[in-house]
Amino acid sequence: MEETLTREQLLDMYYYMKLTRMVEERLQRLYRQGKIVGGLYRSLGQEGESVASAYALEEGDFLAVMIRNLGALFVRGVRPWEVFTQYMGKGTSPTRGKDNIVHFGSVERGIIPPISHLGDLIPVMAGIALASKMQRKRSVALTYIGDGGTSTGAFHEGLNFAAVLKLPLIVIAEDNGYAYSTPKHKQMAIENIADRAIGYGIFGETVDGNDVIAVYHATRRAVERAREGLGPTLLEVKTFRMRGHAEHDDAWYVPRELLEYWQKRDPILRLETYLKEHGMADETDFEAITHRIEQEIEADLQYAEQSPMPDPRIALEGVYAETPSVSEVAPLPREHAVRTRS
Amino acid sequence: MPVLTYLEAIRQGLWEEMERDERVFLLGEDIGVYGGAFKVTEGFLERFGEERVIDTPISEAAIVGAAIGAALVGLRPVAEMQFIDFISIAFDQLTNFAAKCRYRWGAGVPIVVRGPCGGGVHGGPFHSQNVEAYFFHTPGLKIVEPATPYDAKGLIKAAIRDEDPVLYFEHKYLYRRIRGEVPEGDYIVPIGKADIKRLGRDVTILTYGWMLHKSLEAAEIVAQEGIEVEVVDLRTLLPLDDETILSSVAKTGRAVIVHEDTRTGGIAGEIAMRINERIFEYLEAPVVRVTAPDTPIPFSPPLEEFFLPQVEEIVQAVRWVANY
Amino acid sequence: MKVEVIMPQMGESIAEGTVTKWLKRPGDYVRRDEPLFEISTDKVDAEIPSPAEGVLAEVLVHEGETVPIQTVVAYIETDKEAVEAPPREVSERAATEAVPPREPAPEPTRAVPPTTEPSPMREIILPPHPWEKQKQEIRITIPAERAERKAVRSSPVVEKLAQEYGIDLTQVEGTGRGGRVTKRDVLRYLEERAAHPSEVRPQPVEAPSPEAPELETPLYPPYLPGERVEIVPMSVMRKKIAEHMVYSKRVAPHVTTFFEIDMTRVSRLREQLQPDFEQRHGIKLTYLPFIIQACVSALKAFPLLNASVAEDKIVYKKDINIGIAVALEWGLIVPVIKNADALSLVGLAKAVHDLATRARNKQLKPEEVQGGTFTITNPGVFGSLFGTPVIHQPQVAILGVGRITKRPVVVEDDAIAIRAMAYFSLSFDHRLIDGAIADQFMAHIKRTLESFELTGV
Repeated sequence: MEETLTREQLLDMYYYMKLTRMVEERLQRLYRQGKIVGGLYRSLGQEGESVASAYALEEGDFLAVMIRNLGALFVRGVRPWEVFTQYMGKGTSPTRGKDNIVHFGSVERGIIPPISHLGDLIPVMAGIALASKMQRKRSVALTYIGDGGTSTGAFHEGLNFAAVLKLPLIVIAEDNGYAYSTPKHKQMAIENIADRAIGYGIFGETVDGNDVIAVYHATRRAVERAREGLGPTLLEVKTFRMRGHAEHDDAWYVPRELLEYWQKRDPILRLETYLKEHGMADETDFEAITHRIEQEIEADLQYAEQSPMPDPRIALEGVYAETPSVSEVAPLPREHAVRTRS
Repeated sequence: MPVLTYLEAIRQGLWEEMERDERVFLLGEDIGVYGGAFKVTEGFLERFGEERVIDTPISEAAIVGAAIGAALVGLRPVAEMQFIDFISIAFDQLTNFAAKCRYRWGAGVPIVVRGPCGGGVHGGPFHSQNVEAYFFHTPGLKIVEPATPYDAKGLIKAAIRDEDPVLYFEHKYLYRRIRGEVPEGDYIVPIGKADIKRLGRDVTILTYGWMLHKSLEAAEIVAQEGIEVEVVDLRTLLPLDDETILSSVAKTGRAVIVHEDTRTGGIAGEIAMRINERIFEYLEAPVVRVTAPDTPIPFSPPLEEFFLPQVEEIVQAVRWVANY
Repeated sequence: MKVEVIMPQMGESIAEGTVTKWLKRPGDYVRRDEPLFEISTDKVDAEIPSPAEGVLAEVLVHEGETVPIQTVVAYIETDKEAVEAPPREVSERAATEAVPPREPAPEPTRAVPPTTEPSPMREIILPPHPWEKQKQEIRITIPAERAERKAVRSSPVVEKLAQEYGIDLTQVEGTGRGGRVTKRDVLRYLEERAAHPSEVRPQPVEAPSPEAPELETPLYPPYLPGERVEIVPMSVMRKKIAEHMVYSKRVAPHVTTFFEIDMTRVSRLREQLQPDFEQRHGIKLTYLPFIIQACVSALKAFPLLNASVAEDKIVYKKDINIGIAVALEWGLIVPVIKNADALSLVGLAKAVHDLATRARNKQLKPEEVQGGTFTITNPGVFGSLFGTPVIHQPQVAILGVGRITKRPVVVEDDAIAIRAMAYFSLSFDHRLIDGAIADQFMAHIKRTLESFELTGV
């Protein structure tokens, strides 16, 4: 019996989606102002599936994002200043400048950072799920993979491993149409990634990734399945990458018609419509949320801009346990809390 | 004191750690029901159960990846590579994930990846390799290779207790051919410490694994000629024990590095460079090395014998530096 | 014939097996491949089939016994005639390699070092290099006396120089790191020594002869008691020259061959080039550069003359370093043009001029009188027609150039012409060089000079 999402929960998810979009818009401006070190990878159009899937987790569960799942991080309690400092390479970033973009996290917060090599997270999250099972904990492990990433050997090995051992692992496969410039039909000979679930002997499902309610419920089902010991789920979300691979890529290779098609199905737009249609919220509510987000962003951005760059000597630290680890060099300057589902 | 084979010592170390700490568990191919291709883990499944002795699919990347995940949340996995040659499939997980977590986000990855290395058993190119050089280059990893039963038990315990990822190489030729006294009960051989297996005065041999035993043989031969060789068993390849290595070579002034691994890019080059850049003034002769040639490992016995460093070569190298 | 039944190797790393059960008794008949006995190893228990058909004659290893692989456990007596058993080389080797010692292999023990009492140790801290980012001090512990010896440590190059020149490094002031003696320090020391020869030991003209002849009571005393004489001590250089000449004649059987060479063409070329040359380079163009080029060409063609004798080995020198004997007021010195084959005519002229000038001004560096592989001497400059020069050790040949004089000679068609002629004499070491080679070498020089081609001055 599926629970119904309350108004508060829906507005919560709305908040996180807007936060994601507005933070990324800000990052884009900063990028063009030359204030960002390295590249910028946006998740425009995909905010819904990231937020909704992460929203279905509980405290104690583990999350591992990829580059286009910023929304999931916010749901789990990450704040904008952490993202800004990561992009700027500041000494106050969660990794002290050791790594960039969303490559940060901590076991205490239940957030496992990715590496750039695609697919590698899946065996690792399988291992976390294995530990959960061995420790008789109810916690599940959830991670994401793009259509491109499903082609890797690590994806296959990790999923098969989790399947055989019936581990509480959820893999959200995001079919967003493109892996850099490679369209899906050059990546795989099938239409739906979830079809592969049969091959692994696990549960698979395909949902509309831009429908946050559908994604939320599908993820809840997968989470419950995992907690009951029924093994992994390969949950495919259909969505679309509305910008290029990164800010330096203008995605000229994507047909205009596709973009127009998906523009109409924007997740934020759809949730606004749903809320309005069900009399749960109106423009003033949305504006209030937007306003709140603007203030949060301003405050966090100011903090990030005023933060110093890292002490160069930190480059030598944290290689082994015997050398001081990153968090020991300087305490985290700000509090962060693990947000749970209200 | 009990006398065990090298393999029995490893088994005993693993067993004691599994008894001592319930967070320790094993995963790998054919380690449970079959007891491991070389029977290292024989009896473990019966004693510790399926949950702690996991027979996995053939997925070295997933085996190591899962070990990493489990270690991140507090367990102490020991992953087996059936032959260490297959570790190449897990290269990415080891060098890009395990080695970098602490550096990037302060999280330790206390895994052990163990497996049989080395030749001498007509295993051919894919069952006889020494893979330390591929990982030696990766900051964040540790590498150990015991040569005696005593060190084997002590080092597997140390590896399991270490907070960072440790690669534990067991030389398959030594498994049942080397016996030695192994204390009962708990003891550690510290990681990062070399051991002087034979005190000497004229020439230092720096070596590890099977080559330790060949070096000791060589030392006995040249002792007849009045050359007293000091044989240093590195035991830990990464991080190298600079103090012991440099003290010994500064004392004798002559160094011969012996390893079974091939020549170019083998760790002898790194060791020789450390000697050169710090204690050049103490050298009486160039630092030389005895290694396998730069080829894949051949299969047929006469070819493999030619390939592997032999006692005679070590003797010649020692004489050369001694008479320089 | 007896066929061996052996303990098989049931897997890699298996070194031994236990006979658990004999399925046949001695005297029983067994067919080939019929199960003969059972074994147990670390990896597997197995039934072993008989290798041959016959009677189980003798059982050497009984139930419950453990033996190394390849051990003969029994014999089967077949009724076939004994055939040459194929050599089991490979398996034999496997057996010797695979057989572990029955007793536990001795745990590697620590051999007690030969010294009877423990030497005092000293701890030394090795600092990191200033450019290193991972500043790492390494602490080593070594016997104290090793640490002390380090005071005179220098480098292999310096050690070699010291040995060659007979220098006691402890006497040389070291300006290197921590008081190390550098190569520059040694060269400076040598210069000072050369400048004040009376103060120090003999200055070598070039690499000292390995064996200096012993001074023994002369058979013919240089002067008799009562004879009116003035005794003047020989200069160091004189002594050295004397020693060298005796030595050279002693070790190398000298043979000298003489060639008459028409230098007219060279002479004309020289006249042609001379004015421009002098204007552009400020020095005179002599015959020597031409002669050196001809020698270089000939040495390339006959590398045996650019060599040395090392007991029973020939040491071919890869570099062509031409020594030019320079007469000094106080003696004789032979500066060397290194890699003469790389120099043009101009280069050679300059080198000759430079070396000769500095030789006369005592400004030569030690390395400039070392390393020659062939020498040219010029007795002609003082009027000699031809000489029999002494080979400059450790070389194997020396070319003497006589005076160039205009003489009537018979040319083509029996005509008589006035030509600038010179006698060239080559003294060579007959241990290594035979007359034929020497003459061919000289013929080459003759041809080169008589038809000299300017190849880029």
